[in-house]
Amino acid sequence: MIQVQQVNHTFLIGKKGKEKKVPVLKGLSFEVKQGEIVAIVGKSGSGKSTLLHTIAGFMSPEQGSITVNGQETANLNETERAVFRLNNFGFIFQNFQLMPGLTAFENVELPLKLKGISPKKRKESVEQMMDKVGLTEVGDHYPNELSGGQQQRVSIARALITNPPILFADEPTGSLDSETEQDILLLIQNLNQTLGVTFVMITHDEEVASIAHRTFKMRDGELVKGDAL
Amino acid sequence: MLFKDQVDFVRQHIKKNKLRVFMTILAATMGCAFLIVLASIGFGIQDTMRKEILQDQAITEVEVYPNENEELNLEEIKSVPYIGAIVQRTSMDVMTSFHLEDRSIQGNLLLTDMQEEEQSNLKLSEGRLPQNESEIVVGYHFAQNLWTDAERAKVVEEEADLPKGYEKSIIGKTVTLSLQPYDSEDAFSEQWEFTVVGVVDIPARDWIIDQSILMDKLWLSKLKGTYEENAEQIPENFTYTTTKIYTDSLEHVKSVTKDLKDMGYNVYSVSEQLEQIDVFFMAFKIGLIFVGTIAVLISSIGIFNTMTMAVTERTREIGVMKAIGASPKLIQRLFLMESAWIGIIGTVLAVIISYAVSYLANWILPMVVGTSLGEDGLQDLSITFSLIPWQLVVLASTISIGVAMISGWRPARKATKIDVIQALRQEL
Repeated sequence: MIQVQQVNHTFLIGKKGKEKKVPVLKGLSFEVKQGEIVAIVGKSGSGKSTLLHTIAGFMSPEQGSITVNGQETANLNETERAVFRLNNFGFIFQNFQLMPGLTAFENVELPLKLKGISPKKRKESVEQMMDKVGLTEVGDHYPNELSGGQQQRVSIARALITNPPILFADEPTGSLDSETEQDILLLIQNLNQTLGVTFVMITHDEEVASIAHRTFKMRDGELVKGDAL
Repeated sequence: MLFKDQVDFVRQHIKKNKLRVFMTILAATMGCAFLIVLASIGFGIQDTMRKEILQDQAITEVEVYPNENEELNLEEIKSVPYIGAIVQRTSMDVMTSFHLEDRSIQGNLLLTDMQEEEQSNLKLSEGRLPQNESEIVVGYHFAQNLWTDAERAKVVEEEADLPKGYEKSIIGKTVTLSLQPYDSEDAFSEQWEFTVVGVVDIPARDWIIDQSILMDKLWLSKLKGTYEENAEQIPENFTYTTTKIYTDSLEHVKSVTKDLKDMGYNVYSVSEQLEQIDVFFMAFKIGLIFVGTIAVLISSIGIFNTMTMAVTERTREIGVMKAIGASPKLIQRLFLMESAWIGIIGTVLAVIISYAVSYLANWILPMVVGTSLGEDGLQDLSITFSLIPWQLVVLASTISIGVAMISGWRPARKATKIDVIQALRQEL
């Protein structure tokens, strides 16, 4: 499903003209299979977020190739990448990244709007999804009227509404208390099992990593543990 | 994204910043309204001048004058296409007095061809055109200036109110004509009788007093002969002829004017004067629109500022939108729609306000000017201070909405360039 081959990336840090090259990804190669939950763990600055951003197409790697569902993402232009993300990826962020001016229902509906789905079909799909993530009662609430767990559920519902084959989660429980964290992890497992969604998670929480089928550990831009290709 | 959803999206964002958007729309409205009202003054004055000119003269009328010591070649002129009628009116250098009962008037006798007058659509207020030599048509004020000697003396001595003249209908009345040279105290003994069969239409201007008499041109030789018999010598330039050509339609005035000029005649037509006025006012209006556009440009700074603020404020939202699959083109379109919306609402309001200002200006200004000049009559004059034709509305709207979109362009481009990773890192 996702093939990462010899990916290298360097950041330039410092004042203009006096930049310093800092390698963040060093020859990474691995594969994620369909229906897997993969956790990428590592300390801050280990390069795990950069890796996720690279796979998700938010940035292009300097070297190497990333193939998702047979499509080399580095070859796509910005508009093509946006469309590719819309059709193939869902995103769950640590701080939920919900639109504050939209209700929970409207937040979940947003990707369907971007896809140009008719209002009638959208309503049906969103209602089903809200039911699935247990948010039926709070559809007309704004994000600031929801608890952290509810906001993350909205975020998950938004990520899943377009039925993407791959879901990226960046510290999905980082802003939640331990009880809510358990709920969200159960939800992720449930969705993985029932819908067959592939999850790629970034976390430094051992408990979150424990639900993964495989775990890649990163240190200083390298995979130090995991099933490399 | 469906168009309706795009509109909803823009509307939601505008609702969130009502006051800021309102102030921006206000600036756009003021800029556009200033442009329209300023340019409308040019259109208004032009319209007033056109009306003034058209009141003076029939629009199909072309005046022709021969060069010095030359005469018009009527046969040659008749060969010009699209000529409907050639009216030549001849006046004589002699006092022509008309008498009716105990009243008399020194009218302006004009000898003309009645058939040509008919073809030129000479308008009468009553009666008909003469059908024989003994019938005449008189000017609109002919009857009211038929005074008795006593009335005339009273006017001269006491500066009293003007007498009302002959108050009965003049149609069918017989008037007597006598001639008297300007340097003589007595009129010639010969007199001629004529029947008044028509009265010419009221003049276009209130201040024009028409006490002319239109008589068949056959009388010219008779009257001239009488003068020659009675006077010691006939003055040089005893007769003076004006020639007016009437084209068969408005669109041919230009070609007829050109043809006559090519023949070497001196020509004057309303269309020529209108053309000159139009050229002048075109330059004048362009100047006004230019000044007005500066106001629109100033208001566009507000739009630029608002849109830049909107993009900056929504950086994180834009980042999320891009992350979940919104294309840069869509992001750009949404922001352009927002600035266009500001421009459109501002323009619509500006058009409404401009029409109101224009209406008020045309209603109040004549009163104010009239009062300050102490002339009550000014209110009756149809002076257009401001006129907003649809072309001006279209032009101003295009400028205003175009400028709004251009000022929204850069912020919209900035929105597309927002880095997803940086945007997602922004604090909530």
